[in-house]
Amino acid sequence: MSEKIEFKRKFTEIQPIYSMWLREVIRFFNMKPRVISTIVQPVLFLALLALPMSKLFHGAPPEMEQTMFGGLNFFSFLVPGIVGIGLLFGGTMSGVTVLWDKDFGFLKEVMVAPVRRTSLMLGRTFGGLTVGMLQALITIGVASVFGIWYGFKISSLSGFLLAIVFCVLTFFIFSCFGIILGGLFEGTEGFMAFVNLIQMPLFFLSGAMIPISQLKGVPVLYQIQFINPLTYGVDGLRSALTGSTPFFPIWIDIIVLITVAVVFLLLGAYTFSKMEVD
Amino acid sequence: MYAISTKDLTKKFKNTLAVDHINLDVEEGDIFGFVGLNGAGKTTFILMLSTLLNPTSGTAKVCGYDIIKNKKDVRSSIGLVFEEQAVDIYLTGRQNLDFTARMYNLPKKERIERISRVLESVGLSDRADDKVKDYSGGMLRRLEIARGMLIYPRVLLLDEPTIGVDVQTRRYLWDYLKKVNKEYCMTIFLTTSYMDEADYLCDRVAIIHEGRILSMGTPEKLKYELGENLIFLKVSNSFDEFSGILFKEPWVDRVDIFEDEEGNNWIRLSVKGANVRIPDIVKFAKEKGFSILSIKMQKPSLNDVVLHHIDKIG
Repeated sequence: MSEKIEFKRKFTEIQPIYSMWLREVIRFFNMKPRVISTIVQPVLFLALLALPMSKLFHGAPPEMEQTMFGGLNFFSFLVPGIVGIGLLFGGTMSGVTVLWDKDFGFLKEVMVAPVRRTSLMLGRTFGGLTVGMLQALITIGVASVFGIWYGFKISSLSGFLLAIVFCVLTFFIFSCFGIILGGLFEGTEGFMAFVNLIQMPLFFLSGAMIPISQLKGVPVLYQIQFINPLTYGVDGLRSALTGSTPFFPIWIDIIVLITVAVVFLLLGAYTFSKMEVD
Repeated sequence: MYAISTKDLTKKFKNTLAVDHINLDVEEGDIFGFVGLNGAGKTTFILMLSTLLNPTSGTAKVCGYDIIKNKKDVRSSIGLVFEEQAVDIYLTGRQNLDFTARMYNLPKKERIERISRVLESVGLSDRADDKVKDYSGGMLRRLEIARGMLIYPRVLLLDEPTIGVDVQTRRYLWDYLKKVNKEYCMTIFLTTSYMDEADYLCDRVAIIHEGRILSMGTPEKLKYELGENLIFLKVSNSFDEFSGILFKEPWVDRVDIFEDEEGNNWIRLSVKGANVRIPDIVKFAKEKGFSILSIKMQKPSLNDVVLHHIDKIG
């Protein structure tokens, strides 16, 4: 009898999670500038960053592509990196929305509902995830169109599906990361300054634009790459999407990402539950 | 069982005691008001009752549920309206209510029905599908109260429910609250710094200052404690001398100096019974050799009660 009630209680958390998710999605589509920037940003990154940069190695011998970029031309090498930037920025931004709610007082209203803190956080993260995945898919789609001329191609359907898994894990990690940071800061301004500060090294030391092995001779920077979750996300994503040789074995990428995701989820849930209302 | 019952409820922030050992019982179905100045500890008290803040010491029960041990049960039994705005301005009014209804797991049919009913009852039906950022202050307040009502809570907690609202909306909200209190036998606990609000709405009132309850009772009782009638006098010569003489008279309950909004000093007499009239006082003053410049009589308001209690403790 009591087990049944307990089960029912667990079941009742689904509706609030869905509710939080729905709110995020409605808010997203209600804000036209956000929708537009979600679509335009990947196009700009591809057209203004990946395309010109790929010209750097124009006419380089094929052996170089083999050794440096795992068998890819530079444009194809950059595409998963750019998807990675989107996941990094988009994920941490979802931490900002926690702060917005805090500023607008909406957080209180949510906190007073008879719902587990973890559910609140999950719903919010899924909402951000939906938007983040939308952007990732747009990026891959646009890259495939550019790819007709620049040699980028999705390797296979299974590779594409695996790539989605990597995207989800990566986004989830940075979303929790954003919430953890959000819980540590009082106001949006301090938070934004810090986020900008930390996003730089996370982005450049992730193998998104510079192959991991190229930094071998640079002491500290080389090692930082190994503690950056984005490194494993981009590495796995790149290999799955393009069929190139990954830096780490793919199962290592997956295990590291899942472990970090679980730890960050717990930390995030803890932060969220401890978040003072006033 | 009391709807709300606190025992030595205390909250200490760094150096200040925001709520200082408050013992309070609120009967089911009552409208109870916490009256006090800004910073008296009203909001802290309500946040503790709603489980959003943990007390430093002491306990409280809401609908019989402990606010520390049974947080979830407390949360399911209360509706809460915050002092500051707590809605998502980028959603419509209806979407906001829908969000809350889902948070409380209301089934679909009931959700739709209740949302349109509360919207109707606060008079927002025709603006329900506009984004909240286009609402006026009064509409916002009505929406928030509608949301507090959405789950038909057993206890409705309202923190300054009519702050920043025009006279017409205030009266509307008051009557609405009175109505739901009667219809659903809903206990309402509100904080306010408007005395007329407490006077109009509340069955019982507690005056709170610096985290402590100074006085508690029905608005009538509190006003009666101050005397049935207040008489304000202005005399040409020495205030102190005349008030000293007056104080010795058996029909005078209390005498003090009162400063009105324009900065004028009055002698405030609290008079026992209604049998002492202005002509008697004028006559009395003449006998004692004082000339009265101005005189007025007033029934005490809750305002006077609160200021009296706060002045008393300095």
